[in-house]
Amino acid sequence: MRCKKVQRLLPLMAGDELSGPKAFKVRTHLHRCPLCRREYEKYVLLVQQTRKWLAEDKVDWEKREWPQALKEVIKDKGSKRSSMVPWPFPKGWAFALMAGVLLLITALVVRPPFLEKIGLKPRYEDDAKVEALKADKESEEQQVVSMTMVSKETGLKIVWFFNKNFDLEEK
Amino acid sequence: MWMKDEDTLIEEVLQGNHSSFEPLLQPYRQGFLTMAYRMTGNMEEAKEVCQEALFKIFRYLRSFKKGRSFKTWAYRIVMNTSFDFLREKKKFEKVLEVQKRSFVFESSEAEKRVWNREIREKIQNVLHILTPKEKAVFLLRDGEGLSVWEASKVLGCSQISIRTHLSRARQKMRDHFEKKNLFGSSEVET
Repeated sequence: MRCKKVQRLLPLMAGDELSGPKAFKVRTHLHRCPLCRREYEKYVLLVQQTRKWLAEDKVDWEKREWPQALKEVIKDKGSKRSSMVPWPFPKGWAFALMAGVLLLITALVVRPPFLEKIGLKPRYEDDAKVEALKADKESEEQQVVSMTMVSKETGLKIVWFFNKNFDLEEK
Repeated sequence: MWMKDEDTLIEEVLQGNHSSFEPLLQPYRQGFLTMAYRMTGNMEEAKEVCQEALFKIFRYLRSFKKGRSFKTWAYRIVMNTSFDFLREKKKFEKVLEVQKRSFVFESSEAEKRVWNREIREKIQNVLHILTPKEKAVFLLRDGEGLSVWEASKVLGCSQISIRTHLSRARQKMRDHFEKKNLFGSSEVET
């Protein structure tokens, strides 16, 4: 292991957060590299010093405060202070539900063409009217049937129109 | 004196025996307050954060999954409440100023007797150079003695992330020590 890599690991090595083969490699390197060893000693000193300071400067509740704080919690049963509304499901579900609702609203407002293809196009009142008009028109058109005959010799064209009962309407 | 284990105490609290709530939290009362104090830099605010965290612990105790570590679960609530508090008040940038002022004005006579101001100042100067995440990782690991795994559970991130933040924090502190000549003549304790 090179000095550069070892020095990157020294802050963790000093606090005992490194283990396994990595720690072994660092330790081996430290045995033969005085420069890294000096650096390591500084980190060890730093960790010892800061841990000592933090241990010496613990703060605590005053005698009456702690029971009073707990008493308040129990009295209000933890409901009064907290502004959080309990959500019984995992948070991800809420996002999924919101995304679903948004998609649905978007689909209803924008009505993209692919919905029509799969027959899911929402039917609004206007659409229904248009559809009805179309149907009427189609049915009207279907009420009259025409038949055309063309003479091969003279090129004469005769057209017969029949109503829906197949009665001759005009010629 | 025979001490009941945490699972038993939790069960008792859930069954309505609220007197078990105190012994359940007793081992952490100092740790919670110290963490909140170091995060907020103000004793009054730290107590407020702790009170809020206690409410949440009591309220959501039912959602605590058996077999998991109550310590990391409770610390996570304290940490998140601290972060929420700081976020709400938009104090992230101002915390250090408040902390520095608190040394000068906040300490009452009683406090001065109890706390070693010099050490506190040194700690706050060290914390001053760290980001909130680095500060949280450093305090959990070196202040509260949590393992890397426990710290990762408390802060809800990977162990690699914890190691990265811890390493960065120590590098910054090492530079700070060097600059302020705090290594001095101290020797490594073996």
